[in-house]
Amino acid sequence: MKVVPIIVKELKEYMFKPGSISWGLVFPLVFSLAFIVRFGDIDHLAPGLVSISALFATTSFVASSLIFERRLKTFERLLLAPISYGEIILAKVLVGALFGLMVSAITLAIVRYFMVYPVWSWPLTLLGILLANLAFSALGVYISLAVENPINVMTWLNVIRLPMMFTSGAIASLTLFPKWFIAIGLITPMTYSVEALRYSLLGYYDVIAPLYSLPLMLFMTLLFMLLSVRSLRRMY
Amino acid sequence: MKAVIEAKNLTKRYGDFTAVNGISFEVKPGEIFGFLGPNGAGKTTTVRMLSTLTSITEGEAYVNGHDVRRERKAVKKTIGVVQDVSNLYDELTVEENLRFLAKLYDAPLENVSRLIKDFNLPAKKKFGKLSSGYKRRTAIVAALIHEPPVLFLDEPTVALDVQSANLVRNMIQLLNKEGKTIFLTTHNMTEAETLPHRIAIINRGKIVAIGKRNELRKLVGKGVKVRFRVEPLSNRFLRFLEPYSPKPDGETLVVMVEDPDTFLEEFWGLKRELGFRVLHLSTELPSIEEVFLQLTDSNEDGERPCACGGCPL
Repeated sequence: MKVVPIIVKELKEYMFKPGSISWGLVFPLVFSLAFIVRFGDIDHLAPGLVSISALFATTSFVASSLIFERRLKTFERLLLAPISYGEIILAKVLVGALFGLMVSAITLAIVRYFMVYPVWSWPLTLLGILLANLAFSALGVYISLAVENPINVMTWLNVIRLPMMFTSGAIASLTLFPKWFIAIGLITPMTYSVEALRYSLLGYYDVIAPLYSLPLMLFMTLLFMLLSVRSLRRMY
Repeated sequence: MKAVIEAKNLTKRYGDFTAVNGISFEVKPGEIFGFLGPNGAGKTTTVRMLSTLTSITEGEAYVNGHDVRRERKAVKKTIGVVQDVSNLYDELTVEENLRFLAKLYDAPLENVSRLIKDFNLPAKKKFGKLSSGYKRRTAIVAALIHEPPVLFLDEPTVALDVQSANLVRNMIQLLNKEGKTIFLTTHNMTEAETLPHRIAIINRGKIVAIGKRNELRKLVGKGVKVRFRVEPLSNRFLRFLEPYSPKPDGETLVVMVEDPDTFLEEFWGLKRELGFRVLHLSTELPSIEEVFLQLTDSNEDGERPCACGGCPL
């Protein structure tokens, strides 16, 4: 398995790139702090803020890496090496998830400090955050490969990420919305992340029980990884 | 001798556009095979197909006996590729870049320090901080990390200053002396004149000529170029030159002649008769640049007879 050297290389090369720092670290933390300052008691927003952090951190990191690598042709270094497309995609997804875990852990620590009630289940919370980061990272890799011109990747990511913040129930509970709106949310991993973390942090869920939301995040991770491998096959 | 690289009717299409159109050639072990062509002729696409980076639309290709379509991993293990850009990781040092690639190829880590020493690379300097010459040298060294017998070099001296380009050319010769088979794409005529043992010229996706340098020279023009400067230029002498369509080049006149012996005999005969002074007289074969220009400009669509006589053109 050549996954570990690729992960180490990615962290050294892309951790401090402007795309990773601005959209992946600064935006989610400032966004969370803005809500904390505005509302004070942020228990009901905690699942959404942690999910938003994970979403932006993972997708920004993998997009930043793939934009650079596709433009500078360093991605072709990986393609020329005797490793499978699956291994390349797995490494990209794992390193994106690792970066996302770091950022969402910081967000969780800040949010936890301002929560009134104790965390309902730490093990489920950690599992939920892990699966969410994997699913978002895989989504980011897929979009970064599917967009033909790498310069446009960040724009397309925002076209997808920003609506997801609203359709997932991260800001306002899904119970307030009509069924068709909820149905839109169900096609993105963000909704499952918010619902899983709502249950693990607060002990209740709005629409989807953790019995479904957690495995569905794993399913989406695998689905986006398969789609990414297919994209690579089409591109090269 | 069994070919190290073999292309049979190799074709690449992008939608309606045919980038490479049914080309066939063989590269022998230990050879530097020059692949010449203008921009957009299909050089890079050919390298990408042979190195597994781009899928083949039609035809077959074998590298080191491995089918490029079906045995991609085996092909990758036996080739080193230097692309037309120095594509390594800017934030990693030279040593970190090479160590990373050694791990990807399962190459011994001792190779890293040996190559850094052999090619005098700044191990601890970040790749992004290197000059373009050092970047290209490092990129070539990176292709050697797993000791491949075959190297694909795609425009290795493009955008380099004269000194760096010369260093890279010396590196290529050194690697060839060590036994590497080298597939070199270029549109640099200095390289084409000095490095390859054999050359294929590709134009609009088709190979228009293939052979050794001297064989290619015979494909164009009327054999030998005669350059001279005489004083004074009499009408009689100019009438003698008329059938050869002389062209001025600086202070000299240049003619292309099929039979230089007969031409020079007549030339000296006229000198004796007219008594002009010969200030310069030289003969030269057409340069590869001239061959290249004739085959790629004036004959854009047609195919030329192959100089080697044996390839399936």
